[in-house]
Amino acid sequence: MNATIAAGAVRTATPPSFGSNLATVAQRELREAVRSRWFVLYTLAFAVLGLGVSYVSAAGSGGSGLAGFGRTTAGLINLVLLIVPLMALTAGAASIASDRERGMLAYLLAQPVSRIELLLGKYLGLAAALFASLCVGFGVCAAVLSFKGEGTRVASLVWLIGLSMGLALSTLSVGVLLSVLARKASAAVGAAVFLWLTLVFVTDLGLMAGTVAMRLRVEQLLALSLVNPLQVFKMWSLHAVDANLDVLGPAGLYASEEFGGRLHAIFGLCLALWSVVPLAVAAAVFSRRSPV
Amino acid sequence: MSTRLSILIVAVGLSPALPCAAEPDPHTAAPAKRQAAAGPVNTGVIGMRIAAARDGDTVEIGPGIYREHIRIDRSIRLVGRGGPVIDGGGSGDIIEIVAPGVVLRGFTIRGTGIDLDQENAAVRATAAGAVIEDNTLEDVLFGIDLREAPGSVVRGNRIGGKKLDIARRGDGLRLWRCDGALIENNTVHDGRDSILWYSKGITVRGNTGRDCRYGLHLMFSDGVTIENNLFANNSVGIYLMYTSGVNISGNTLYRNRGPSGYGIGLKETDRFTVTGNRISANRVGVYIDGSPFTAAQPGDFHRNTIAYNDIGFTFLPSARNNELYENNFIDNIDQVSVAGRGSLEANRFWKGERGNYWSDYTGYDQNGDGVGDFIHESWTLFENMVDREPKLRLFLFSPAQQAVEFVGRALPSVRPEPKFIDEVPLMRPVPLPADVYASTPSAASLGALAVGLLLSGGAIVGAAGGRFGGPK
Amino acid sequence: MISIQGVTKRFGRSTVLTDVSLDVLGGGSVAFWGANGAGKSTLLRCVLGLLRFDGRITVGGHDVLRAGKHARMLIGYVPQELGFYDDLRVDEAVRYFARLKGIAPRSVDAVLVGVGLPGQGRKRIRELSGGMKQRLALAVAMLGDPPVLVLDEVTASLDACGRGEFVSLLSRLSGTGRTLLFASHRVEEIAALAERVVVLERGKIETVTRASDFSGHLGADSTLHLTIRADARDSAAAVLRSGGFAPRHNGVGLLVPVRSEHKAAPFRLLADASIAIDDFELLTARSTPGHAHTEVHS
Repeated sequence: MNATIAAGAVRTATPPSFGSNLATVAQRELREAVRSRWFVLYTLAFAVLGLGVSYVSAAGSGGSGLAGFGRTTAGLINLVLLIVPLMALTAGAASIASDRERGMLAYLLAQPVSRIELLLGKYLGLAAALFASLCVGFGVCAAVLSFKGEGTRVASLVWLIGLSMGLALSTLSVGVLLSVLARKASAAVGAAVFLWLTLVFVTDLGLMAGTVAMRLRVEQLLALSLVNPLQVFKMWSLHAVDANLDVLGPAGLYASEEFGGRLHAIFGLCLALWSVVPLAVAAAVFSRRSPV
Repeated sequence: MSTRLSILIVAVGLSPALPCAAEPDPHTAAPAKRQAAAGPVNTGVIGMRIAAARDGDTVEIGPGIYREHIRIDRSIRLVGRGGPVIDGGGSGDIIEIVAPGVVLRGFTIRGTGIDLDQENAAVRATAAGAVIEDNTLEDVLFGIDLREAPGSVVRGNRIGGKKLDIARRGDGLRLWRCDGALIENNTVHDGRDSILWYSKGITVRGNTGRDCRYGLHLMFSDGVTIENNLFANNSVGIYLMYTSGVNISGNTLYRNRGPSGYGIGLKETDRFTVTGNRISANRVGVYIDGSPFTAAQPGDFHRNTIAYNDIGFTFLPSARNNELYENNFIDNIDQVSVAGRGSLEANRFWKGERGNYWSDYTGYDQNGDGVGDFIHESWTLFENMVDREPKLRLFLFSPAQQAVEFVGRALPSVRPEPKFIDEVPLMRPVPLPADVYASTPSAASLGALAVGLLLSGGAIVGAAGGRFGGPK
Repeated sequence: MISIQGVTKRFGRSTVLTDVSLDVLGGGSVAFWGANGAGKSTLLRCVLGLLRFDGRITVGGHDVLRAGKHARMLIGYVPQELGFYDDLRVDEAVRYFARLKGIAPRSVDAVLVGVGLPGQGRKRIRELSGGMKQRLALAVAMLGDPPVLVLDEVTASLDACGRGEFVSLLSRLSGTGRTLLFASHRVEEIAALAERVVVLERGKIETVTRASDFSGHLGADSTLHLTIRADARDSAAAVLRSGGFAPRHNGVGLLVPVRSEHKAAPFRLLADASIAIDDFELLTARSTPGHAHTEVHS
């Protein structure tokens, strides 16, 4: 056994900082994402549907030039509600699970990278990819609207873009959690799609039935809706774009009157919790689980 | 009259339209009996000039700030030159007109008291033929209060209320038994209501009312013309109660929202015409409750544009015998709704061969006569559910709503009866003069936004494709 | 350099490593030898800090669980098969891992030349052959010249030719003064690379021997892989059993452990019984000292 160590073989090497590794992983993930088929497809779908929504609604205003909360904004909110969670949930769900399946996760973690750096870096990279996708999609919409001279306020559109990104962050966080929990990538993506269906349709329809059948009071109805990040996004968008929620009937009116100016904070808190909590749980689970 | 008034008090007390329903509302009762004014009257510079004048004189007041309370008890013209300010110092009324034919012009009048029982007003007239014009009223509880001052003219004044809680505000403009008055080109903001009581033959023209509770409120006031006014950001734009013979035309009603939130509300109103109005972004564009009140004349709504309201028209089940034609219904979230489980059968959505323009009409016009070849039938399952259970509006704009609509289309068995039918829908909107609140063309800024977004999207993707070299 | 103290690893109920302790001084070269499931890979994964375990492992004084980043800075790792983004270019991959290790390679080309991949930088990873992939993995492992190399069955997925080349590359590159820790099934690798052999069995260290002693001990057994038509396999197995062999089925034929001096005996037995042998392969010695049977890896 050779007890001496050849000179120069060991150097006092400091591993890269947290931020540096985060940036490296995020950039890698972003690049991988923007080259991937899902990113291109989703971006294309979002842009094309957004184009359709903008075009149709601009035509529908009948040249009256009247301003207001129009079909464009409603249509875009609807579109975001459908596509953004699906995109973010599936992207998040595929991230860790597919790396594990390919054996890449163990290889990456055998490098001087901590698990938190890897998880957070992937999250940030995917978030950046989603932002890029949203920028392109909304950019196309804005271009159409500017050509059609539609009376959509720029501030409304900016709000909508910002909140869509908030929604993307929340649902991406949930997707990453699914990815960490699942054994297989296919199971994670399946769970993501199922969750998407649940958030988009099942909970709302259930709540609608509950409202009628159980005679929920407005404050109960509102509280239950705040649990769903999609509803939070929708209410926040309406609140931001229209400055009041009475368009949503008694429950919206109740929210406006009861909370008024604090609604921004409340909605923001809901989406922030949806972004932070699942990611934190994912980090906790990920740091304990075997990467193989 | 007295029975009708007591019914009215009960009705108003129960109405969700009024936020302070539980308390006795001062505007449901006759004006308070005049108490002694706060502080001495006619002891200041202007007061002494008035005391020295005779009927028919013109008293001119130069610039300066006059801290006094004034009573005009002779038929003079009191004219401000160079913007004199009369300051009530935050107490009592400021100017009281008790002689007929007084002209008050060119003053800034500010700082009434805040006593709602005393109804502290900037200008109160209790004699016929007062002309109050081109004054600026600031920080006032009641603005201009005309009591039994028939034939008066209120023109070109700016009336700004105290920014108090709505329950503690006074009326910007109030007329009580003032037949034949003219209200023209005034601006009222941050008041409670602008209200006409028991006043016949009044014209309200070219005024602006904003950030009040009722932009314009008519009670038992017949034969009124309301034209070319703008009512924006009030709780209710124009509200008519127990009134007959009203012509509402060329007004703009924008963003009147809140608990009631009507652009135009008609309660037990009779013989009315509503035409050429632009009604947009209100919670409810037009609200019809028991109008027309008699069968004498159908309610006439034509050539209005009703756009971007949460609900275009709301009919209470009692509403019948209205005719809607040549209106533009554009992108209201609900174009027409019936509160509760009513039907619109007793109302008509066309006249002769002309219906309305519906932005959600899906038919076409093959013969090119401008009228769609198919009838416009309005029913959606979701709207139907919302009409029955308003709380479900919370799910508006969500994919769940579309799922419900899809079910409604796919399964005829759950399809609701059509709410109404327009047999001759128009293919194109009826042209109207441009809206005061027409959007300024934001094409340039939208274009800039588009470019910015596409560039940042590209930048992110570009950053991804950047070099992977280590630190240099 | 590497200190393993009382490491126990359980997966659920099964215990994969039981109280393993080992010290590897700087510059030492240690091979882990054992059957599948003996715990070789598990132990290497523990050293890399990929798995949580009871006990303590330090690399260069850094606890692999508490200061994993610092410990892994000292380790270059070559897996059994490189799993990475397939459409990444080779030079991009090298730069990426260099960044993760906090170093800036002066020239990616030089790095690639060093592992015998000159001019392959523009290729996508998916275009590389198995052997080239392993070379790339080795290039990545050698980035920053780490004092420790951890190799986990690095030749398992290579063909015979690739194996030989890769082992000679390894023995050239690992050079002097580097600590080498590797798991292997192959005698020739152990002979070429290891100074000491740690024999693992069922998660425990059975023996630690010098590599030179170990190689001699290994020649005892080989395995003959006979490809035989399915309908003849059972009778062939019976014939062989009656001849004193212990054949096992493996899907396409039979695996017959043979002593090196009797390698041809099964052919004679089967020929006498008129059973046709379609093909054969002699698997080099792979049995572990404690196990008479043979492992086949795909």
